[in-house]
Amino acid sequence: MSDDAKSIARGLRRRDPDLLDRLIEQYQYRLFRYLVYIAGNKERAEDFFQETWIRVLERGHQYDGKSKFEAWLFAIARHLVIDWQRSKKPQSLDTLTDPEQEHPLQLASESEPSPLHQVLSQEKEENVQASLQKIAAIYREVLVLRFQEDLQIEEMAGVLSIPVSTVKSRLYRGLEALRGELQGGAA
Amino acid sequence: MSHNVHDRALLLIAQASVEGMPEGHRHWLRVHLEECEFCTERARQTDRALRLLRTAAIPLPEGLASRTQFRVRLRAMELREREPKRRAMWFACALSWAFGIASAPYVWRLFAWFGERTGVPKLVWEVGFGLWWAIPAVFVAIVLLMENARQTEDANWTGQSR
Repeated sequence: MSDDAKSIARGLRRRDPDLLDRLIEQYQYRLFRYLVYIAGNKERAEDFFQETWIRVLERGHQYDGKSKFEAWLFAIARHLVIDWQRSKKPQSLDTLTDPEQEHPLQLASESEPSPLHQVLSQEKEENVQASLQKIAAIYREVLVLRFQEDLQIEEMAGVLSIPVSTVKSRLYRGLEALRGELQGGAA
Repeated sequence: MSHNVHDRALLLIAQASVEGMPEGHRHWLRVHLEECEFCTERARQTDRALRLLRTAAIPLPEGLASRTQFRVRLRAMELREREPKRRAMWFACALSWAFGIASAPYVWRLFAWFGERTGVPKLVWEVGFGLWWAIPAVFVAIVLLMENARQTEDANWTGQSR
């Protein structure tokens, strides 16, 4: 594994505050996006975001630097969401994002210059988001990890604690489901 | 064209996105897509779905990083404050063990003398000595087991074993 991962592992063992500040800055967007997709709600994702970094501080000594830091980070975030879900009620991850129970996500683009572009971009994002929310959480999660976070299939298996073959089959099904949903939404 | 041919093409389209397409199939798929409108459309839809997924942006809440950094620093301070207490506990355990081992012969004699003076049966004061010696060790063993169980649980939780 890279020297960077090892130096992160060393820094986490020391609970180096400057390293943590840098990591929070560096991974803020990716972690927040992942949390929004798996928690299905921006406010809740914000709470999970902070809690994830507290866990990174507390359990940093467990990161051995042999795998990518982001894979370990996502695994922590995922466990937090699952623990919260279990403590709430014994239902599937899908209930977290049930549009009947929760406010749907309001995704807005931040940096588009033209108002028309903004509207189009927002429509596109809402379309993607709406389509993703219709897909079962187990498929949504693998799609986000693979195609947004660019994790390798083996790394995803580590994050999700499932066999590589299961990751692949979920990816195939998820991709098909997303294609179908986007196609349906566009029609 | 048979269904099998389309199935193979659709599988390869998905495979190309998920794990990469085997080199030998690339040419076959290209030829098939040139003559099959249905599969070409499916390939286009898959490509569009992935492009949209990759480019979908979620704005970060303002000040999220700085708020988190502040909370993390506070927690780090709390943890640092706890650290001397833990060290003190381990130091006390080690000291108690060392003292227990060093003083065992004297305490044995003390128990024997007390047994003779009070007429307590030998077995009773021997058990008493055993308990006196074992209780700190049992306490340390319990602390160690609890610590170990917590670390194992943490390792399982984060998906890494130490």
